[in-house]
Amino acid sequence: MNKVNILFFATIRTRAKRSSLELDIKADATVADLKEILINQIPALEASLHHTLVSIDREFAFDEDIIPEGAEIALFPPVSGG
Amino acid sequence: MNSPDFPIFVSITEEEIDLNALLDKVTLTSTGAAAIFTGMVRGKTSRAGQAQGINYAPHETTYLEYEAYKPMAEEKMLQVAKEIREKWDVVEGIAIIQRIGKLYPRTPTVLIACTASHRDTGVFEAARYGIDRLKEIVPVWKKEVMPDGEEWVEGKYIPAKK
Repeated sequence: MNKVNILFFATIRTRAKRSSLELDIKADATVADLKEILINQIPALEASLHHTLVSIDREFAFDEDIIPEGAEIALFPPVSGG
Repeated sequence: MNSPDFPIFVSITEEEIDLNALLDKVTLTSTGAAAIFTGMVRGKTSRAGQAQGINYAPHETTYLEYEAYKPMAEEKMLQVAKEIREKWDVVEGIAIIQRIGKLYPRTPTVLIACTASHRDTGVFEAARYGIDRLKEIVPVWKKEVMPDGEEWVEGKYIPAKK
């Protein structure tokens, strides 16, 4: 098993009603697998997940990417700084 | 030409943006020009338009509340600075600052400063690239609070896999 910490920001944090979550996932789980687990744990996230960005260890990540051991994952909407 | 001694300064901060202090950080003895872009909170939007892909109608803004994923945001600001260096090797110093928290109209929220020996080196374009790129890849978000409600502003840029 792989223990990962997931951070939520902006609209995703609001929908998830929390700013972080710790999860145990299987060792070779991908970002797509994680999204499925998250939808089960927090159904409110389902509607927004298709336009949610994901980062692993502070770098943009994609559905097919495998999540490394102890990763810091973040989910957030397209950015709007400036 | 490009030197490892050229200063880069990036920061996500809740403090007021201090232009003079930043300019001091990116000014070398060889510097003769600085191009500075700063954006501020607009209190009154008088025409319909588009920002970050969202259409908006004329309206008033009470304040904007900014939030950042600070460690990633500062790493991505460094990436923006590195990209500027790759495109304009005459750029000497680069400062990229994003202020977060509750920010009211007329308050500067972001600042990009690029310095060079002369003004005709591409330094204006470098600063322009910096703000455009920040709005694409630096994980910062803002919620707009208006007299009659509030709304998160969402961008539209989706990063592609390298």
